[in-house]
Amino acid sequence: MIEARHLSKRYGTTLAVDDLSFSVGAGQVTGFLGPNGAGKSTTMRMIVALDLPSSGAVTVGGRAYGSLRFPLHEVGALLDANAAHPGRRARNHLNWLADSNRIPRGRVDEVLGIVGLAEVAHRRAGELSLGMGQRLGIAAALLGDPAVLILDEPINGLDPEGILWVRHLLRSLADEGRTVLVSSHLMTEMALTADHLIVVGRGRLLSSGPMAEFIERSGGHHVKVVTPDAEALGTLLRDKGATVVADGPQDLSVQGLESRDVGILAAGAGLTLYELSTQRASLEDAFMELTHEHAEYRGTTEAAAPGTP
Amino acid sequence: MTQVLVPPTPAATPDTRLSGVFLAASRSEWTKLRTVRSTMWALVITVLSIIGFGVLLTAIAVGQWDHRTLAEISGFDPLLYSYAGLNVAQLCIGVLGVLVMTSEYATGVIRLTFGATPQRRLLLGAKVLIFSTVIAVVSLISCVVVFFVCQAILAGKHAGVSIGDPGVLRAVIGGAVHMVLIGVIAVGVGAVVRHTAGAVAILFGVLLIIPGLVQLLPAPWNNDITLYLPNSAGAAMSAVVRFPNLLSPLGGFLVLTGYAVMMFVVASIVIVGRDA
Repeated sequence: MIEARHLSKRYGTTLAVDDLSFSVGAGQVTGFLGPNGAGKSTTMRMIVALDLPSSGAVTVGGRAYGSLRFPLHEVGALLDANAAHPGRRARNHLNWLADSNRIPRGRVDEVLGIVGLAEVAHRRAGELSLGMGQRLGIAAALLGDPAVLILDEPINGLDPEGILWVRHLLRSLADEGRTVLVSSHLMTEMALTADHLIVVGRGRLLSSGPMAEFIERSGGHHVKVVTPDAEALGTLLRDKGATVVADGPQDLSVQGLESRDVGILAAGAGLTLYELSTQRASLEDAFMELTHEHAEYRGTTEAAAPGTP
Repeated sequence: MTQVLVPPTPAATPDTRLSGVFLAASRSEWTKLRTVRSTMWALVITVLSIIGFGVLLTAIAVGQWDHRTLAEISGFDPLLYSYAGLNVAQLCIGVLGVLVMTSEYATGVIRLTFGATPQRRLLLGAKVLIFSTVIAVVSLISCVVVFFVCQAILAGKHAGVSIGDPGVLRAVIGGAVHMVLIGVIAVGVGAVVRHTAGAVAILFGVLLIIPGLVQLLPAPWNNDITLYLPNSAGAAMSAVVRFPNLLSPLGGFLVLTGYAVMMFVVASIVIVGRDA
């Protein structure tokens, strides 16, 4: 359980995080979504007390991270996937972390097995591929068997197999009752992984709620129709109260009627359909819409505040 | 395969007192220090510098003695040439001490370190403790070895001293303490500056450049200030004979310890308030 209250972080004249309040619940994967520079990483660093908030506070399990002793038992974080001394062997990288929190060395072997690095544990971190380095970072986060996991862009640098593996790992961690907060700028990935979504833009909270609700709220769905009789079908559907937009000579985009109704009406009028499908607004569309509005809003205020990048 | 990701349980950490945190952090720092190659190389060079330069310069000096007057030799400090290598060794130790902090900032490891031990002052203390201990062991062994080898060379000219002679044991230990305190200062500079190049430049500036610049000042300022520079304060600890341009051994110890404590305090203040 992570709880942020009125969290702000100012760097000089830039407000990287702006009055951010949210809570991350246990037993689900919470996506932390926003374009690059939205303040996701800064927020995550504040959660684990690496950066100090300019104002506001954030707690993990009801306590400030900075007050925890041996915090790896409670919170595991992946903030910078390449954070390893290139000359140190992968196993030793986990060994010193384990020592710092009184985690038995046996657990190092366990997490190396979980992330699939047991065979290359003797290699120096600098000799690992990008994907292996990412797995080493995830191993470090899992080391203390924590109830809370905070992962900043965990799929960066992973191959498709690795991405699938992370997706399953996050799911199983959440199913075990853990709190999983995972950031990404890839909306499509979040749609596949997250149950709950926190969207930020320019340091501000734009949306927080269940994934499905987020998609539904941001435009719902429409029916796509491809037909050689676009004009006739368009007239017919408009008569039934639908909003019809012609996307091309044969393509129609219909709102206000379900695809079932469109099919029945077309059949009744003897019109040929090549294609009939319901188009749900993708997370990507919803996300773009949200951040676009926000960018415009910020654009006008920026003109009055020179010096803000 | 058994289920390794067991359901989360309330954290059952054995000893969560701050002393327990410090011990765990110290153990962790020891693991860190011995699992990178740069440590081993820097320590090898340190040992070779102390022993190699000491033996070499002592042998050269002894070879020149037939041409010297008795007056020149009578003011001779039996450890002067033996401990010439400390001037080089302190640079190796300085770089290694700086790297103890700055390599973590350069590689991003500092975030893992502070994440694992949010008690940053304890962590800095653990780093300094482990590094000082390693330097103490390595430089004390080197100082003892170079002492006996060099005195054996000097004994051929009947100019050697025994470890039991007044002030000699103190000077041998003083050489090692000098190295330890330089190491502590270096870790502190690394923690404050955070960038390897900048921290090394500052440290070398203080150890190599400033003494030369101070000598350009008009007398008596040049000699008065030189007394209190880290180099001279350190050298005073390993001198057997009292030189007019050095503090007393105790004075040198206090001055250099003062610098080390000051750097540690500054580092422990800034390390807490800064973002990592």
